[in-house]
Amino acid sequence: MIATSTFKYEPSEHELEKAANSYVMSLVAIMGGFPLPIINLIATFIFYLGNLRGTYFVRWHCIQALLSQFFLLPFNSVGFWWTVSIIFTPETITSRYIAYILTIFIFNLAEFIGTIYTAIATRKGRHIEWWVIGGLTNLICKDK
Amino acid sequence: MKKILTELAITLGIIAAVWLGLSQVDWMKLFRIEQATRNTEEKIGDLFWKMLKNTETEITSDSIVAPVDSMLTKICAANSIDRGKVKLHLLRKDEINAFALPNNHLLIYSGLIASCENEAELYGVISHELAHMEKNHVMNKLIKEVGLSVLISMSTGNGNAEIIKEALKHLSSTAYDRSLETEADLTAVDYLEKAGINPEPFANFLYRLADETKNLPSQIYWISTHPESKERAEKIIENIKGKSFPNVEAKDSLRFAGLKTNLKKSS
Repeated sequence: MIATSTFKYEPSEHELEKAANSYVMSLVAIMGGFPLPIINLIATFIFYLGNLRGTYFVRWHCIQALLSQFFLLPFNSVGFWWTVSIIFTPETITSRYIAYILTIFIFNLAEFIGTIYTAIATRKGRHIEWWVIGGLTNLICKDK
Repeated sequence: MKKILTELAITLGIIAAVWLGLSQVDWMKLFRIEQATRNTEEKIGDLFWKMLKNTETEITSDSIVAPVDSMLTKICAANSIDRGKVKLHLLRKDEINAFALPNNHLLIYSGLIASCENEAELYGVISHELAHMEKNHVMNKLIKEVGLSVLISMSTGNGNAEIIKEALKHLSSTAYDRSLETEADLTAVDYLEKAGINPEPFANFLYRLADETKNLPSQIYWISTHPESKERAEKIIENIKGKSFPNVEAKDSLRFAGLKTNLKKSS
């Protein structure tokens, strides 16, 4: 799901730290955003805005972190509103609902572990490209 | 771009496959959710009934309970509803009210029986409350209005008397959602049809009490807790338009007249 490749140039120590921070930012936000999936996205987006004028390497990783949040957002939102409807409407808990919550839990956990791994690897100077997200980031983020 | 789309399709496929795979497991059984819900419902229903029994007068006379009981049995039998699970209680009170409590307790006030002009009207009310039970409206309403945590704390014996009283009030004197009331009405019509009873008198009952509410608002709980009665009556009439029903059984009519006489005598 994640692949290590070489970036177009050798990033400086300062860039590595900033790029790794974009992943740390989404991790911190996950803690606060578990019941409200939109919070992770907002936090990562704010960090991305703060680094719009950053170097190519920093921007690239900020966008990858942001897109990784976007990817699970619809799935988490469905889970959130499904839960709300169970609490506040006649909708009841079913095996299908529990299976869905478990599914998004597994994928959120995978993303969480992937984010930790990427943050550490980026800090060490390795360029990590995620499955799907990495390709999309390459499409969006261009070297100025 | 093609590579990204392929990767995206594979990922979505994996997510769908995991969900589908996990859906094959009977999580409800595994986590004993249904059992836990049933236990909570039983405890709360019995708690509410115990509280009502201590504050109201229950009618136990066979000459009054038996006819209503046999009406309930008739509806249940015609609709494959387990009669054994429904606990019928008649209470002596002038309020025109009937309601269902969790764990299939069905409560009917003597005031409501007295206000019915014929047995088909009472059949309608019984069917309506049975529908609330069968469609699980009772617990859903409680969860929505009181909260699951409060209900669980009540069922474990930690609820205080005031909270229990308040929750009970939600069931006896406040309305269900409009959609739930409509669902209960239409299900009741279905129950009545299957039992060979004309639902029209049930609609008439709603019409009549809606008019009477203007004069006696505090007494007619069953209508004040069931808003838009005229609109509901119209929906029932609309639903049965063009259908024919057998004439009301003479045996039932006689029994109902006897029931009302006994009710009057005993008060």
